[in-house]
Amino acid sequence: MTSSFSKPRLLTIGATVALLVAACGGGGASTAPTVAPTAAATEAPSAAASAPASAAAGGPAAWVPDPTLLTAAKAEGGLTTIALPPTWCDYQDLLSGFTSATGIQINNLNPDGSSQSELDAITANKANKGPAAPDVVDVGLAYGPKGVAAGLFAPYKVAGWNDIPDSAKDANGYWYGDYYGVMSFEVNTSVITTLPQDWSDLLNEPANSVALAGDPTGSNQAVSAVWAAGIGTGGSLDNAQPGLDFFKQLNDKKIFVPVIAKSATVASGETPIVLAWTYNALADRDQLNGNPPVTVVVPKSGKLGGMYVQAISAYAPHPNSAKLWMEWLYSDQGQNVWLKGYCNPIRYDAMVKAGTVDPTLAAKLPDSSGAALPTLDQITKANTVITTGWPTTVGVTVH
Amino acid sequence: MSGPTSQSLTGLEPLAESIAKPSRRSPASPVVMSWIVLLVSILYFGLPLVGTLIFSLRAQPFGEAYKMMVSDGQLFKDLGYSFVIAIITVLVSIGLLVPTAFWVRLRLPRLRPIIEFITLLPFVIPPIVLVYGLLSTFSGPPLALTGSNLGSDALLVCAYVVLSFPYMYRSIDAGLRVIDIRTLTEACQSLGAGWFTVLWRVILPNLRVAILSGAFLTLAIVVGEFTVAIFLARPMFATYLQLISQTQAYESAAVALMSFAITWAAMGVISLIGRGRQEKIIAGVH
Amino acid sequence: MTQTAQIGDARTAPQPGRRRFSGTVLGVAPFLLFAVLFLVLPTAYLFVGSLQTSTGQLTLDNFAHLTQPYTIAAYEASLEISLVTAILGGLFGFLLAYATIAGGLPKPIRGAIMTFSGVASNFAGGPLALAFIFTIGRAGFLTVFLRAIGLDPYGAGFTIYSKIGLEIVYLYFQLPLMVLIIAPAIDGLKKEWREASENLGASNVQYWRRVALPILLPSLLGSVILLFGNAFGAQATAFFLTGGFIPLVTILIGSQLSGDALGDKNLGYALAIGMVAIMGVTLVAYSYLTRLAERWQR
Repeated sequence: MTSSFSKPRLLTIGATVALLVAACGGGGASTAPTVAPTAAATEAPSAAASAPASAAAGGPAAWVPDPTLLTAAKAEGGLTTIALPPTWCDYQDLLSGFTSATGIQINNLNPDGSSQSELDAITANKANKGPAAPDVVDVGLAYGPKGVAAGLFAPYKVAGWNDIPDSAKDANGYWYGDYYGVMSFEVNTSVITTLPQDWSDLLNEPANSVALAGDPTGSNQAVSAVWAAGIGTGGSLDNAQPGLDFFKQLNDKKIFVPVIAKSATVASGETPIVLAWTYNALADRDQLNGNPPVTVVVPKSGKLGGMYVQAISAYAPHPNSAKLWMEWLYSDQGQNVWLKGYCNPIRYDAMVKAGTVDPTLAAKLPDSSGAALPTLDQITKANTVITTGWPTTVGVTVH
Repeated sequence: MSGPTSQSLTGLEPLAESIAKPSRRSPASPVVMSWIVLLVSILYFGLPLVGTLIFSLRAQPFGEAYKMMVSDGQLFKDLGYSFVIAIITVLVSIGLLVPTAFWVRLRLPRLRPIIEFITLLPFVIPPIVLVYGLLSTFSGPPLALTGSNLGSDALLVCAYVVLSFPYMYRSIDAGLRVIDIRTLTEACQSLGAGWFTVLWRVILPNLRVAILSGAFLTLAIVVGEFTVAIFLARPMFATYLQLISQTQAYESAAVALMSFAITWAAMGVISLIGRGRQEKIIAGVH
Repeated sequence: MTQTAQIGDARTAPQPGRRRFSGTVLGVAPFLLFAVLFLVLPTAYLFVGSLQTSTGQLTLDNFAHLTQPYTIAAYEASLEISLVTAILGGLFGFLLAYATIAGGLPKPIRGAIMTFSGVASNFAGGPLALAFIFTIGRAGFLTVFLRAIGLDPYGAGFTIYSKIGLEIVYLYFQLPLMVLIIAPAIDGLKKEWREASENLGASNVQYWRRVALPILLPSLLGSVILLFGNAFGAQATAFFLTGGFIPLVTILIGSQLSGDALGDKNLGYALAIGMVAIMGVTLVAYSYLTRLAERWQR
């Protein structure tokens, strides 16, 4: 399963298709031309957040569900999703868009759940065909192979299967990459007037100003932030230790705030700088809508991408609805909704070629050129280094 | 439940009065000290709420964060559902634990440490472990509950009854400790009362304060509980609050504050009802 | 309804004194059945899982892991915070409960305090952490106010993201829990006892030492145990306030069981078993102390 990831290599997100394919052929290049959108990630036009789903999914062609699949799905009477936060990659519009296109009602469980809790929900509900059993999951890349090993997924290949780079999907269709974002600084500019441009700038911020959006011993987003900081300060995809050292410095200088940062702590000024995925940071910015003003900065170095994958539960109570949901997500229209939520959809490059990307949405996507997308092995290794090293390197001082 | 006939109570009330009348008024103690304790407490408990209020009012335009209170129907729907589940949980919990605690005190004092250990287990078992266990145990034959909404509701109530164990059992036990249940029970039985009569007409009324304490705690847990609700996919209020807090900074503060106030008010109502019922049952005692 | 029937059966049991054990045990059967169905059975896999590797082989490695310095530090931090907040919460909670019930305050205050305690005792997790952050966080309104009048708590070294900060926050639910749990016991202190001791010439201190305290002691001990368990098992508040920085056992368990980064479930189960064991030891100590206290009472 994981053999295609076995060789550590640096992937450049910009030219995903070309590069990933090349990489899988055995090459390890990192100089491919960048086709990612280059609009700067500064303050969004205020209207951006409030566009309705139909207007947002303004790609050239609206999705038309396959009639046979639609009939089979409708007979199942619903779809159960899990851990899809409404503002995460604009899932609220994906959920409502699916219902309006198919008439199938969605029951979205545990909107704030973690990847692990999604797999656990499948395991615990193996015999359950009731409302608590999820049909589909959206999990961190590392959880794809993990779910397959536990026999939790059912294979399925969407219509746009060939557009998904080989290294970002399971060859048998058990899981497939969906979107990615880049680690960024979410800055409350009413408190921090000079924007930090790179990781090293964070060391000169005032006391109690930098926070993570999770716990680095348990949250993928927080682990990635530590990792990215390391890559930006002398480490690499294969060496996460400098990230821990960097946070130790932040902590020793009392710059680090050890709270789980939320939109509310950004707004109150308690955590004026939060390290988060671009799409989460930008969604927060739109939500706060200038009160207080927030700017999202992609650091100059250590640009780290984080990918998620989709999969259908092997025990799905509504297997056809699950397939239909996947078709919707990977349709041109669905991919454009992810784009609207500031996520880089996986079929982006193919859609650019076909001209099916909504240009106004693409223009709002943060500049992720030069970002590195780690392999599975690298993720596993860095995870271990950071989750076990965090308490001893950074978190030992308890006042 | 059919109550016992009134004949079985004849002669009982004055007895209950002389044995177990709870004292309302207390000996004179420095009232000034009491006021100081109260004021310090008000400061400690009030300031964080004020902090939350101030933050919620920062939303622009003024009061924006509270607008959804009136506009979002989901909020009150979920809150209503939460309260219904809470009240059922409280009743089941009382029905299960009052006879148990009574019986353990009266007849099985040796079992007390074991029963207490069981009632304290919910503290140390992570809720996530409990809910996955419930899902695996009750999603297939012979005990399939999760397949339907009604079954899931029942499972939710049972899970909450378990979570109420530490609070409810402790409250009831503390209440039983200060009434002389042995004398009361023997007196009642010598007057011909059955076990049910003893519990319903004598023990229960004397446990009013204790049961109300436990009921408040249980109500608050149920309205605030999150993990079990979310994994059983029940539309509880805490789930709603979680969703809001994740995405809407000011609204989450406003909703947290409102839920605090609404839960408080609900407890006030329960407290009044509890008092009314009590007075009806042992009218003449006070 | 079954319990009514069983209690009815028990009615025909012999008089107290000549007990038939099996019949007597039936009185707690409904409770035990319920506990087995909804508490013991569903969590049994915790015990099994703690003895397994992730692939299901039998192992003791998970428990061996409990002796690592970091894990021990986590148990210590959990124990310390639980103990401190149980004792302080117990003390202040008792004071508040006594003041409202027997302290001569106007009667409506009692109802308000009791109901408020019900809400506050379960005000936890994100909303509670945020309420304190908005108040005594670095940018909290009280901090800002104090700074304006020349008293800067953060300048003096205080931070809410510390053990002391966490303890201040924990008291928000510990203290009201004490109020509610101890209220019935305070209510049970009879006026006549005080009058009797006064008539016999006892001073206030003597009344407390010889009469009130011995009566209250078992309840006080039991309540403090409950507060200890309440704090020991709390996770969300500490997690939101000091995410991963103050390593409480519950937070370790949380990141192993439901974290996003690759956790080790079986280790999480072993950590939880460790907590169950500590709770068991605590209860043994408690039941011994209670027996002493109740003997003193007689």
